[in-house]
Amino acid sequence: MEKENKQIAQVIDLNKCIGCQTCTVSCKQLWTDDKGMEHMWWNIVNSMPGKGTPKDWEKMGGGWKDGNLIYGKLPSKQDFGEAWEFNFNEVHYEGNKNKAQLKPIGNRPNWGPNWDEEQGAGEFPNGYYFNLPRMCNHCTKPACLAACPTKAIYKRDNDGVVLIDDTLCKGTKMCQMACPYKRIYFNDERNIAQKCIACFPRLEKSVAPACVRQCPGRARHFGYLQDENSQVHQLVYKWKVALPLHPDFNTEPNVFYIPPTLPKTLNEDGTINENNPRIPLSYLKSLFGEDVEKALITIEEEKTKIGNSELIDLLISRKWHDMFKPFHQDPI
Amino acid sequence: MIESTDNPATDLSDFDKDRRNFCISCAKYSLGIAVATSFPLKLLAETTSPFAPYKYTPLKSSFENDYRNKWSWDDVTLGTHNLNCWFQQNCLFYVYKKDGKITREEQVGNYPQTNEKVPDFNPRGCQKGCSYSDFMYSEARITHPLKRSGERGEGKWEKISWDEALTGIADKMIKAIDENGTKSVVVDPGGNIVNYLSFYSLFRFFDFLDSTILDINCELGDDQQGAAVTYGEISNDRSGDDYFYSDLIFIWGGNPAYTQIPNFHFLTEARYNGTKIVAISPDLNASAIKADYYIPVKPGTDSALANSMAHLIISEKLYNEHLLKEQTDLTFLVRTDNNKLLKQSDVRKDGSELVLYRWDKKEKKLEIPSQSSLKLDTDPALEGEFNIKTYQGIVTVKPVFEFLKEQLKEFTPEKASKICGVAPDTIRKLTTMLVSSKAATNTCTSNFSKFYHGDIIMRSQILAFILAGHLGKKGDGFVTCSFLVADGGNKILNEFELTKDLRYKYLFKYGTPFWLNFFERKDWNQATYKYVLDTFVDSRFMANSTLFWNLHGGISDISERTNEWDPHLKRDIKEYINEMKAKEWQVIDPPLNTDPKVYFSWAGNALRRVRGSQKLLTTLWPKFDLVVALEMRMSSTATHADYILPVSGAYEKTTVMAANTNTLSPFFHTTQKAVENIGESKDEWEIACLLAKKIKERAKHLKIVNFKTARNNTRKFTEMYNKLTSSAGEKESELISKKMTEDSSNLGGISWDKLKEKGYTRFTELGKNPASFGNACDIKKGETISPHTWHTEKKEVWTTLTGRIQFYIDHDWYLELNEQLPIHKNPPTAGGDYPFTLTGGHARWSIHSIMRTDPGLLRLQRGEPFVLISVKDAEKHLLNDDDEIKIFNDVDYFFSRVKISATVQPGQLIMYHGWESYQFKGGKSARNVMASPLNPIEMVGDYPYLKPVMAVRQPGQSDRDTRVEIEKV
Repeated sequence: MEKENKQIAQVIDLNKCIGCQTCTVSCKQLWTDDKGMEHMWWNIVNSMPGKGTPKDWEKMGGGWKDGNLIYGKLPSKQDFGEAWEFNFNEVHYEGNKNKAQLKPIGNRPNWGPNWDEEQGAGEFPNGYYFNLPRMCNHCTKPACLAACPTKAIYKRDNDGVVLIDDTLCKGTKMCQMACPYKRIYFNDERNIAQKCIACFPRLEKSVAPACVRQCPGRARHFGYLQDENSQVHQLVYKWKVALPLHPDFNTEPNVFYIPPTLPKTLNEDGTINENNPRIPLSYLKSLFGEDVEKALITIEEEKTKIGNSELIDLLISRKWHDMFKPFHQDPI
Repeated sequence: MIESTDNPATDLSDFDKDRRNFCISCAKYSLGIAVATSFPLKLLAETTSPFAPYKYTPLKSSFENDYRNKWSWDDVTLGTHNLNCWFQQNCLFYVYKKDGKITREEQVGNYPQTNEKVPDFNPRGCQKGCSYSDFMYSEARITHPLKRSGERGEGKWEKISWDEALTGIADKMIKAIDENGTKSVVVDPGGNIVNYLSFYSLFRFFDFLDSTILDINCELGDDQQGAAVTYGEISNDRSGDDYFYSDLIFIWGGNPAYTQIPNFHFLTEARYNGTKIVAISPDLNASAIKADYYIPVKPGTDSALANSMAHLIISEKLYNEHLLKEQTDLTFLVRTDNNKLLKQSDVRKDGSELVLYRWDKKEKKLEIPSQSSLKLDTDPALEGEFNIKTYQGIVTVKPVFEFLKEQLKEFTPEKASKICGVAPDTIRKLTTMLVSSKAATNTCTSNFSKFYHGDIIMRSQILAFILAGHLGKKGDGFVTCSFLVADGGNKILNEFELTKDLRYKYLFKYGTPFWLNFFERKDWNQATYKYVLDTFVDSRFMANSTLFWNLHGGISDISERTNEWDPHLKRDIKEYINEMKAKEWQVIDPPLNTDPKVYFSWAGNALRRVRGSQKLLTTLWPKFDLVVALEMRMSSTATHADYILPVSGAYEKTTVMAANTNTLSPFFHTTQKAVENIGESKDEWEIACLLAKKIKERAKHLKIVNFKTARNNTRKFTEMYNKLTSSAGEKESELISKKMTEDSSNLGGISWDKLKEKGYTRFTELGKNPASFGNACDIKKGETISPHTWHTEKKEVWTTLTGRIQFYIDHDWYLELNEQLPIHKNPPTAGGDYPFTLTGGHARWSIHSIMRTDPGLLRLQRGEPFVLISVKDAEKHLLNDDDEIKIFNDVDYFFSRVKISATVQPGQLIMYHGWESYQFKGGKSARNVMASPLNPIEMVGDYPYLKPVMAVRQPGQSDRDTRVEIEKV
């Protein structure tokens, strides 16, 4: 391993994510509670298949193609979902009896950050969806960094965290166009772009990011990608069961996913179909690339070696701290 | 061309500006454009490291410091949120304070790993807890006493002082008690009495006043009636890490991905470890997508599935004979002439009604099963027919098992399939899986308690598991509900006036040895009969809330139509109610000849919770001279109050968790006061003491010093304050938690100071609170907790009439309704014979209604309530996503938006719970259509163990069979 140039990475186990959004809320409580940030959800969990956050982000474009930087669509605040305000006073204190309904002030919203939660695809009883946590991937080839005309975006040596220096940002929104994952938000109050900072102040104190540490589903592994002893390294490189999302965007994201296996489907006559996976493999490939097929096979094979599989022990992780060493210090 | 990284530009060059404008206009037309230069290739060629092109250090690091400063605090305390999250409960947080305010909270995550084999419990917590600090400062919070200045529910309020509020309340209370008796004051202790401060305050306050304290557990649908009558006890659950020992886990009817967020990882980990997870549910819910098998079932028909599994196990002789003989009543003898259990009083003139029989196969004679041990020294018959000589002649008997066989004979998978929609071969597969698993279990759920026939559904589930041989081992056995309570709370009994009134009565009746044995669980079965037989109804300690809402509150207008919906009732529901009343099987307070006059909503939200609550507003509310709500926010109930008293939040007071601590996560927590009460809010104890003080003052002023209890004992209003504060002054609420902790025998003797330092401690044994007894197991260091081992290993009897797991119940009403054995009955067409079933579940986004209106969390949903509907039904009704529909039946209607999902079963609608009435159009909520028929089986009394006790074996409400139709608006 090179002497610095360390890269922090996450592996999110989609078999464990239950869509509770505790990661989402934890991030919000910690970072995005200032003015101009009300609509920001640096981390969000999307039901997939679904239009996600922002709406239809997968079709908006960005990233790299044949070595060229692509500027995709600029997502609007509405696409992300606005921070609805509620009419508490009208409902409770203005003598309106039953006539006022507590709901978002203004026109009925038609999108929100988690609007299509659990809608899924397919036909009952064989419908399907799974939960996909998404945040800045702190890419190895960040399109946002390349796109910024004021050089406000940089990638740190010591941990590979990609940051937008808000003293340099001039609000051009090029990064928002270039990021194919559309995880960059815009702060109208300060006229700057903002996004996940990988909780770098916590990393500097060997405390795992909030989304990692506060996940009650224990779905997130975290560590230095190059560290052969880290779980993330083993899951990504040794076992190859942790895959990037949309490798076709070519930014080399450093958040990886263990692909989900849903329950067996049912035949027309209600008997169980042991063979057909509920999530079409083609869909998983469209998200994670061709390697997802082998990843699923590896997991199934290792599961049969009950009590005798290093991979399964990793995926179980009996000791919670092991999932994010050396970032297991207490956050106090 | 990207410039060299050595000179970061701060101004845009002209080239860049043009390019930027070009890019923006392209982006507007949704065209991705490629930058002309090939960005990374040139630079990549010059370096060996893939990171080099991106490396630079900003000249100023001030922006980084801003973020470093943001993650900082002045002080950290420990705590949790004291809410009734039950199965999810027990999560220790670091609570961060900065500049006098709580900024955020984060899980501590230092629960111990029980042993090396199993995953540890960390980190616990959920999205609701992780945003509590948001909620405590939100605009929804009420921070001053309020008095209504318009009509009830009009929405006109004025801020008043505490003194003014307490004076107004005290005056009305004193007058109501003086003119209408003590029982005319009614308190609804909602779910939040799990916070011990709340619990203690409420019970001490209203005990002194001899008020009607409603028992809401069965009403809200947590009664676990099936377990109550079969296991005898409702609380029995394994620890989260014990699930790791199961090789088959059923998520049958519940949704732990929503309701057991911090425990769910134990299931996903077990799945990796080779455990098979089977989810049985009408819809492909958030838990089902994590299973190995998803089995859709028609709502409310799970008893058909379970019964056909039982049929298969019996007809193919796959049952564990020894288990059945040792642990169940399937060997007990039943008379073929009247279907009643053969009693000693049938056989001998002076015989006991409580002594029952089995048939000793070897000796070919009657044997009396021991009521002190399950140990089998004989071989009792499961099958056969025997003629018994009695003093009244020959009586023919058969073991219960014969009746069960007969009843299940025709209940084939083919027959069940037509009812529940599960394919016959799938039923066979499930049965094979269940029978061949070494350790099979399920996740606890309160779901079936909210179905009309929930009791026979659960009885059938238990039957299937027992027949398949699963009970009382690591990872093995059917579990129903989780309670593990710190028994220091028992001492509150010593402080009750009620105890003093009844002491001599019960001491005389039983003597101290009885009580010592009771709490030590000796002679447990006999002790239980006596306790159950005499104490609860007799003491009138608490009154059943379902009957209160029905008989005083007008909901009987709806529920008396039960006969329209349940075709199996042999008589009019009113007749059942009248018989129950005449025989005093349940506690109804105030007595029906007295109107309730004063209503306190304390830690609950009845108008949100009670099915058919719209009736309460028209029938019950006008009866009240006074309605007081202790609240943190404007709940549905507070909206209709006269006074709202602001209660302090979780981090504003020191407390411990009282009830609903559980084996699932066997840790006892404390929360430390971190900040001063927000606004003028006060903790529950201070409110109780100040109100008692005001009552003392106003009683003197009004010259109404004495009052008479329902038992005709005289008490003095003027003594109330002194009595309450003898344990702790109004500003000394911490003493209450300290005492509870240090009085507990099952916390390993931890001191209060040590508990505060650690934030929690692990339970060391079940202790002496009867709520915990059903677990019937040891708690050992280094071992996971597996319930029922006292029965399977120590051969301790069960707390039923038979002393066994009781499948046969020969109470007259059970026989009348043909429910003496677990059976399948179709769900009632509650609300009318309409095509949709409106099912429900507990919400992911709130603990009941507490965070239902939290803006931060609402933004992660759709801002207002919605009903989930299947793709097929949406198409049929020409509905688009988020359209508004009217949902109606014979009872009422409401409006809601729809959310279309591929996970919903056609014919099913799902509305998750907790929405406030004012989140719906016109204040008409989903509860308006809930017919909540009354099931007479839940009213039963006069049967050795089938009598109500606290929280159990009382009539409840149900809603998940509600039938509705929809129309687009």
